[in-house]
Amino acid sequence: MPIAILILMLCLPVTAWAGWLWGDDEPAPRAQVVEPFVVWRTGPAVGYPVFHSSEKGEWLSLLQRKTGWMKVRDDKGREGWVAVAAIAQTRDATGEMVNLSVPDLEAFSNRTLESGLMMGEFEGASVISGYGGWWFTPNLAAELWGSQVLGSASEILMVNANIVHQPFPHWRVSPYFTLGAGHIWVDPKATLAVPEERDNPIAHAGLGLRVYITDRYFIRAEFKDYKVFTSRSTNEEATEWKIGLSIFF
Amino acid sequence: MENRTKYLFLTGFCLAQVMAFTPNVFAAEESDRDDRPLIEPDVKPVPVDEALIDTENFEIGAFVGVLNIEDFESSMVYGGKLTYHLSESFFFEAGIGFAEGGETSFENLAGNVQVLADGERDYQYYNINLGYNILPGEAFLTENYAFNTNFYLIAGAGATDFGGDTRFTLNAGAGYQILLTDSLSIHLGVRQHYYRIDVVGAEKTSMNTEISSGLSVFF
Repeated sequence: MPIAILILMLCLPVTAWAGWLWGDDEPAPRAQVVEPFVVWRTGPAVGYPVFHSSEKGEWLSLLQRKTGWMKVRDDKGREGWVAVAAIAQTRDATGEMVNLSVPDLEAFSNRTLESGLMMGEFEGASVISGYGGWWFTPNLAAELWGSQVLGSASEILMVNANIVHQPFPHWRVSPYFTLGAGHIWVDPKATLAVPEERDNPIAHAGLGLRVYITDRYFIRAEFKDYKVFTSRSTNEEATEWKIGLSIFF
Repeated sequence: MENRTKYLFLTGFCLAQVMAFTPNVFAAEESDRDDRPLIEPDVKPVPVDEALIDTENFEIGAFVGVLNIEDFESSMVYGGKLTYHLSESFFFEAGIGFAEGGETSFENLAGNVQVLADGERDYQYYNINLGYNILPGEAFLTENYAFNTNFYLIAGAGATDFGGDTRFTLNAGAGYQILLTDSLSIHLGVRQHYYRIDVVGAEKTSMNTEISSGLSVFF
């Protein structure tokens, strides 16, 4: 079964293979350099050496993009990597500005989707979480979370849906409040004497902070207070803090 | 420099031409002038649509190697990885791996004793990691042919399902990536996995070393 999943995973990026098998028929889009010059590197990072440069007015075919770098080809067939920021303000064949997107603070303020991974502590045990969120107004978002808590006494799985409100969407350091509900499954360790499996509905309130760093990513940290609704006479309470890295689109 | 020279000569040449012919042109009737080019270009200029430029920030791959499971011999390990490149330096990686624990020395020496049931010897893990390309570079196969490479450091956390329980697991390591093409790469990696386990006596930190090689595709 795991092997089948792996094979399936390898087959997923068929689009990457299709190009080699059948060739790319569509001509690559072309753009004209408007900066005095742009330098070419052998790979998509500043660590790779500069081996060529294009001057103002030269036409470059835009082949592919990796993070902040664009692979280009000039009229003599040479290929290399130039920084997207260096050719962002370029002109295409119709004379229009190309405006290649370079994500910045403004893009962060206007994001509609975000996703991230976080780690921290849930009642003294380690927690690993992943989430996805959708901003339907600049201030309000709906999020879906999945968490795994691994403690010395039990393993907990948690699923939560919540609403997030951020009062200052245009701030680089943006605080937020959240309210949500979900479900928790507690699976005690096998070595314990009386294992008792439980699953209960939960609700939570929390507050946190997003800090935009650069490009397409930001740091997120939060504190949440959970209420576990048990079938016993008393409900349980749990606190959690997490920190992680997210990307936005 | 070459362009500059050409430019100077060509401008001079054109100016001379213009001077030589201008009087004739102006002598002709103004209304007869036709601004259309002699040959209509057949190609229409195509605007750049950013969405059509192939963006390759994701990488998916499979790996195989050897995992040394503390107290439980070494085993073949295989798995898959999904990577998202945040920037030229940082990347997220999510991985899963499968292996199988062998027998402890105690089981081998004592004979008919089993510390774990057979099903509990299945070793599975997942982890989510943050990597940093610390040494991007080029590896030269011949004088004129080079592969781009990356030496990266990576660390993260996840869970290991082994010995009847799921355990919080930290991992750290390093890897060497050789990009055969812009879309295809080879990975060689070393990873150390740490978790707390109490299957053989007192609870202790188990350190498991993994050495693997893998193939990945960008998309």
